[in-house]
Amino acid sequence: MTQDNEPIEGMGQCNTPDHTIHRRKFLQGVVGAGAASLMSWNGLFSMNAFAAQAKKQGKHCILLWLCGAPSQFETWDPKPDSIYGGPFGSIPTKIPGVRFGEMMAKTATIADKLSIVRSMKTKQGEHFQAISLLQRGAPPREPFVRPTLGSVLAQQLGHLDSPIPNFILLDPCPEGNEYKEFKAGNWAGWLGAQYGPVRAGGEYKLADVKRLADTTTQDFEQREALRKFLTRKYENERASAAASSQNAVFNRVKGLMSCADLFDLDKIDPKDRARYGPGTFAQHTLMARNLVENGAPFVMVSNGMPWDAHVFQHEIYQMLVPEVDKVIYNLITDLEERGLLDKTLVVMMGEFGRTPWLNVARGRDHYPDAWSLAMAGAGIKKGVVVGATDSDGIDVTEKPFDEKNLFATIFSALDIDPYAEYDEADIATFYRVEDHAAPIKEILL
Amino acid sequence: MSVLETPINAAAADADVKLVPGKEFKLPTAVFAIDAHPAGKRLFAACFDGSVFEVSTETGERKLLGKHTSFASGVRYLPKADRVVSAGYDGALLWMNPAETKPLRTVAAHKFWSWKMRVSPDEQFVGTVTGQYAPGDIKYTPAAEVEPSIKVYEAATGKLRWSFPHVPPTLSVAFSPDSRYIAAGNLMGEVRVYDLQTGKQAAAWTTPDFTCWGIIKSHHYIGGIYDMTFSADGKDLLVCGMGPMVDPMAGNGKQTWQRFAWQEKTPRKISEIKETDAGGGLMEVLRFHPDQKTFLMSGRLAIGKWNTAIFDAASGRTLHTADTKMRVTDATWLHDGAQLALSGMTGQGKKTKEGKYPEFGHVKLYDFQRKV
Repeated sequence: MTQDNEPIEGMGQCNTPDHTIHRRKFLQGVVGAGAASLMSWNGLFSMNAFAAQAKKQGKHCILLWLCGAPSQFETWDPKPDSIYGGPFGSIPTKIPGVRFGEMMAKTATIADKLSIVRSMKTKQGEHFQAISLLQRGAPPREPFVRPTLGSVLAQQLGHLDSPIPNFILLDPCPEGNEYKEFKAGNWAGWLGAQYGPVRAGGEYKLADVKRLADTTTQDFEQREALRKFLTRKYENERASAAASSQNAVFNRVKGLMSCADLFDLDKIDPKDRARYGPGTFAQHTLMARNLVENGAPFVMVSNGMPWDAHVFQHEIYQMLVPEVDKVIYNLITDLEERGLLDKTLVVMMGEFGRTPWLNVARGRDHYPDAWSLAMAGAGIKKGVVVGATDSDGIDVTEKPFDEKNLFATIFSALDIDPYAEYDEADIATFYRVEDHAAPIKEILL
Repeated sequence: MSVLETPINAAAADADVKLVPGKEFKLPTAVFAIDAHPAGKRLFAACFDGSVFEVSTETGERKLLGKHTSFASGVRYLPKADRVVSAGYDGALLWMNPAETKPLRTVAAHKFWSWKMRVSPDEQFVGTVTGQYAPGDIKYTPAAEVEPSIKVYEAATGKLRWSFPHVPPTLSVAFSPDSRYIAAGNLMGEVRVYDLQTGKQAAAWTTPDFTCWGIIKSHHYIGGIYDMTFSADGKDLLVCGMGPMVDPMAGNGKQTWQRFAWQEKTPRKISEIKETDAGGGLMEVLRFHPDQKTFLMSGRLAIGKWNTAIFDAASGRTLHTADTKMRVTDATWLHDGAQLALSGMTGQGKKTKEGKYPEFGHVKLYDFQRKV
């Protein structure tokens, strides 16, 4: 056990503190000299040093991807007086006059740090298509594949030579029906695979990122420097894209080797783990916090698609909602306490909402007509609720917003031009957000 | 394959049993539980909007007796005392005089839902079970209870007599015919039986056949034992629910009952539904016929042809099946078993253009016919 302020051994630090020069300088040195180096990779990327740099310069984003589509009734937009309201009541929040579902008790106490959008209105009610819509921000325009939010943010917020991946997908549940299909597809689209996610968490432990025991640090660095020298030479002389890709992969793996501890739940403070709760979603959200703290530009946390409760809506949500309530509370509070909330955009959403009416199996079905999401942190106002639905939650009555408005909001909040044209070879004219859709100004700082 | 060691009762097994549909009444919201006045002319219904109604079996007219602040999940009539007791997702127990329209007593039994409530045959006890499913580990194994999962109140006074531990959520409860034992089953298929004379645990075992850990859409547990009933001699305990599913959101596990000799040193499964007779869907109701020769299991039809079936009590053989065209939540026998009342729900439905909300609660009456 450790005290609150004591770092856990090995956590967020590389093993050898003897080399602390900036990595870019090191690379320049290697290329410029064209010679092997004996420097230790392990010592290069002090997580603390990198995180400090990232804190100075960068913005981050954590997407809590509540896949399967969470019900707005049991979370952000309760209707306890409606026949469709379900068995749960509502509770007051830190925002005067605004109530959340009663299972959001902890989040209600920090509602003044959030912005809630209660008027999402989209047009896709099937999981696969809706996941794609809310991950990419626009419907497909075949044969072109629009990059997902994570890939765009990886490109815009990250650095290709970063030891920590620019797009991390913490996804402990490997399955997920339509989500599984989506996960198997092309995340990065025309931006290229280097902006795709590194998938980790749960059953996706980072494997084979430890230096072999019988290879000394010196041997490792000598071999690596020689490999780099030769492949760079080959790459330069032949203008080889393959060699370039190979070097990128080597860099990614070396980066992961230096920060593998950040992906190890066992290295996280047990007190923090207890605070977030023991479930995989909670544990991986905590991991996301650590990754952002150490410089990761974009981390997406999902856990299969558990919110798709076509059967026993309330019986399943009585477990899911309290967990996500605790997770949101702890994540937002931690980010704020660490001085990261103003630089980290947290988005909490699924691909649509749930029907007001229960089906015969006492479940709620897919409902894109009127649903809710929440955001907090970088670029987002605090304590704002925008949009509204009618008394039964059937339709949006104020300020409908769609996926394009949402993406314009996210990009604006992160100081990224929402309407930039993609200047990629061999693709038609695309914009980061199509149709010049307006951001949700009510929640933007 | 079923395990069958109980001797077959030839008379019952050869019986030609049928449920013949009769009257049907609609209620504004889903009916979660139902019980009957012994004369058979009145039913008591616990509904999703929290209402507890008295319903005429002749006209369908209803009278509101009381209201919970959340779903009403259980209702029982106490003939000797002429009282109605209900339970709800507000965690409360209400005592009502059916001649009045205002509850006589309200007891805050649980911090969370009352999943199920039963009254002991001697009308001495009201048993109610609760428990919220909170993740206890990374695999979402349920965490330990934060309040007693089983509570037993005196029916006459509303005073708490016993509190017993279980692992939440505890979904089902039953009293033995002699009112000495209370049994309760949970999400994980664990059954505990407590002695109401000594307060000691009399038996405990786990059946793995009602619970699954989600693989496809999510990693958590789902299922459990949704209803249970003792045999007339009190030696056996029957439990029901549905079998494991790959997709925990599908609700299509095998329609399942199992029968246990619970008083043996190690409680032993002695029979279960025949594999080929079962469709898919959660079974929420298990009731012996008053003559004890047959029992009924009912719930939801997800796969197959039936959601209600009559089984021979001795052999476990399926005697009759029916599709009631609704999700069945509870059942009660009327007129000494000549009639069956099933409660349940259909889909809630959209508000009409005229602004009306479709009624989606149902009570259906069936004549129980047996030709030997």
